[in-house]
Amino acid sequence: MTKTILTVDDSRTMRDMLMIALADAGYNVIQAVDGVDGLETLEAQGADIVITDINMPRLDGFGFIEGMRARPEHRSTPVLVLTTESDAAKKQRARDAGATGWIVKPFDPVKLVDAVRRVAA
Amino acid sequence: MSGDVDPFEAVKLVFFQECDELLADLEGGLLALEQGTGDHETVNAVFRAVHSVKGGAGAFGLDALVRFAHVFETLLDEIRAGRKPCDDVTVRTLLRASDVLADHIAAARGQADPVEEARSAALVAELEALTYGAAAPVSAEAPGEVEDAFVPLPIAAAPLEAEADEWGFRPVAFNLASLDLPAEAPPVGESAGWRIRVRPHGRMYASANETGLLLRELSRLGDTVVSLDAENLPTLDALDPEEGYLAWTVEMGAEVSEADIRDVFDFVEADCDLTIETAGVEAPNVVEEPAEAAVPDIDIAALLARATEAAPVAAPEPVPAPVVAAVDAAAAAAVPADAQPGASVPANVPTATVMTAAAPTAAAAPATIRVDLDRVDRLINAVGELVIQQAMLAQKVGESGLTRHSGVLSGLEDLELLTREIQDSVMAIRAQPVKSVFQRMTRLVREVSDMTGKRVRLVTSGEDTEVDKTVVERLAEPITHMLRNAIDHGLESPEARLAAGKPAEGTVRLAALHRSGRIVIEIGDDGAGINRERVRAKAVDRGLIAADAVLSDEEVDNLIFAPGFSTAEAISDISGRGVGMDVVKRSIQSLGGRISITSTPGAGSTFTLSLPLTLAVLDGMVVTAAEQTLVAPLSTIVESLTPRAGDVNYIGGHDPVIRFREAFVPLIDVAYSMGFRPTPMAPETGVAVVVETESGAAAALLFDAIQGQRQVVIKSLETNYQQVDGIAAATILGDGRVALILDVDAIVAVARRRPTRIEALRSDLKLAS
Repeated sequence: MTKTILTVDDSRTMRDMLMIALADAGYNVIQAVDGVDGLETLEAQGADIVITDINMPRLDGFGFIEGMRARPEHRSTPVLVLTTESDAAKKQRARDAGATGWIVKPFDPVKLVDAVRRVAA
Repeated sequence: MSGDVDPFEAVKLVFFQECDELLADLEGGLLALEQGTGDHETVNAVFRAVHSVKGGAGAFGLDALVRFAHVFETLLDEIRAGRKPCDDVTVRTLLRASDVLADHIAAARGQADPVEEARSAALVAELEALTYGAAAPVSAEAPGEVEDAFVPLPIAAAPLEAEADEWGFRPVAFNLASLDLPAEAPPVGESAGWRIRVRPHGRMYASANETGLLLRELSRLGDTVVSLDAENLPTLDALDPEEGYLAWTVEMGAEVSEADIRDVFDFVEADCDLTIETAGVEAPNVVEEPAEAAVPDIDIAALLARATEAAPVAAPEPVPAPVVAAVDAAAAAAVPADAQPGASVPANVPTATVMTAAAPTAAAAPATIRVDLDRVDRLINAVGELVIQQAMLAQKVGESGLTRHSGVLSGLEDLELLTREIQDSVMAIRAQPVKSVFQRMTRLVREVSDMTGKRVRLVTSGEDTEVDKTVVERLAEPITHMLRNAIDHGLESPEARLAAGKPAEGTVRLAALHRSGRIVIEIGDDGAGINRERVRAKAVDRGLIAADAVLSDEEVDNLIFAPGFSTAEAISDISGRGVGMDVVKRSIQSLGGRISITSTPGAGSTFTLSLPLTLAVLDGMVVTAAEQTLVAPLSTIVESLTPRAGDVNYIGGHDPVIRFREAFVPLIDVAYSMGFRPTPMAPETGVAVVVETESGAAAALLFDAIQGQRQVVIKSLETNYQQVDGIAAATILGDGRVALILDVDAIVAVARRRPTRIEALRSDLKLAS
């Protein structure tokens, strides 16, 4: 069954990159532009996997994941965090918020799909 | 748009468009910080802008851009975290960094040469000094290295077989009895393979990681032998469903590298007890896997069944399978029927666009299409011809003697309205806000202010004012020049300003507004104003005016536009070598525009540019002068009147003036002054059209007759013939004849270019009144 991936990123470039790579790999992709939008989209449409940026206006990636995890139906939805920061503190913070894993930017499409596959049943 | 566009290239275009927006956000935010109107969210937004540039640039391998953005971002991150102050010095450095960032982007885009290494490096050093204090590292961490945490998995992993379930596992015949048998020797046997023990904590499950998936990843690396340890599983009454009680031991062959194994646990390392060691002889309780299978055949249900057996009432590990199923169902319901992705969705741009649009909460951007400018211009040309054709048709029908009530005439009127509407719509396509030019100026002001050591604040208004694209493009240069002048020559040094009782920081205003069918650009400063004594002396020195010429303040001010006049005492690097205001004036005139200056000593000067909104059409008054048909731009015309003999006076016996609204204005016989007829006509036999120039000078132009008001399509005379004094352009009238469009300013200027005489006129008028 085709999986739906929600991508949450304020950068149109990044959303388009994700869209191309993931759609090419056969995923159904829906998009949101920041954390608030992400929670609303998730509520309205649901998703099997979520990929989110960290630095976003209105509600950042950490807040978005926390908000997501606060809802029982999304507690076990895998969330990958897009990050350019490789330092452990940032990763730990993402993990504390409930992130399943991370994707280090810049990513190439193969790595991206690989990371998605890793967390998706 | 064709489907064969490389999606990657298409996204790159999107990226550069986004960069423009991000740069505008960046600069806007930094300016707000500079003016003290920014807050923490402003700093965040500024950080995000640079961060997004870096993120996108990384995706496209734009290394120079990434490196610079990285250093820039690092400092912003420090400021964001409150570890570094956001003081004046810092903000100024950040602003300059934003300029260099813009240059890097332009270079990456192929619009500019690569940024000079020294310049970029100097700023990098400054940014690092602010980031790390005096002891800046020699070079910043290359951002390419941030990838270190991500070691790619081998992608040539065995494809999942069709009958595998969604977890990648296939059911296997499973004999519970075999579990009780002592383990057979694992196939990895004596060669030292790996033994991986993993005991997930509850936290690992809380972040939606699954042991099953980890096992699947391991199985992609090579053959695995997995055994489950359910010893710690408590009875149901003691069971915390959020805790992890199970542990797994995985045996793998030595051909798999430890790094690859560790990588599988990259996400969960901190949330489980993990040991990876070379396998010893002793073998734990293992489930044997069929040797021929690339994917281990483990039946989780069966394993769990065994666990249940061990603790009869125990609930299984909190594997959230039912919840996943529910989410799947919800997602399935939400997937629109037309977006059913097949095994592979073609990754072309239309697909991406459609899917973007399908996301209901995506940022609301106005729907736009990109159109080749050539196509728009072809359309504009065609519409221009349509206007001419329509006028010709109207004229022919008018001459044919049809009655006013005929259907043909009313149809023609409708056609005229429609034509005009089409024309306005087409012109609107080319219209662009002047914002793009104005935004560039903030940087210029910054640079000039740095070079001159003067403190300058740029205040802009009317950035959304729209004007034809060509006009927008050609405005940049004159505005640049005038702004430089305003700062370099107009504003005083901070000391001088303080001494004059003004704030140390000078203000330069840049405003755009629409006024009576034209766009007006004002460039003002609150500097010292024009030093008229000096201008005068210089003009006399250069032979531009007679030493005894008596000029009004306005006339003195406007001398700076005279060819060969330069107010700079020493040629400065900033205002440019040899390029004077006369060049600026000419470039404005070539756009059909006018320029003037007003100045108040001690309070500053304001340049006013007035330009047509479009270079393609003009509302004109069609007039006759000595059998020539001419067009006077309607925007210059104040009034028309029929002179009577008594209205006209002659100054000094030959220069006619006419009374107009309680004043006298020069009366110019256009046909005579342009050589259409050898002698002046009698004023009372013609029509006088009072015009006002941009500098406010009024004059009356004498013609034989007025034909009517008409919209005309401008055809450049310069392109097709040559520049003619007093003539701005040409047009084709309804009857197919060519008519010349008058350059009213030039005609009036010629008539007034006799300072001594004009002065005589002025004093005569004073006597008369």
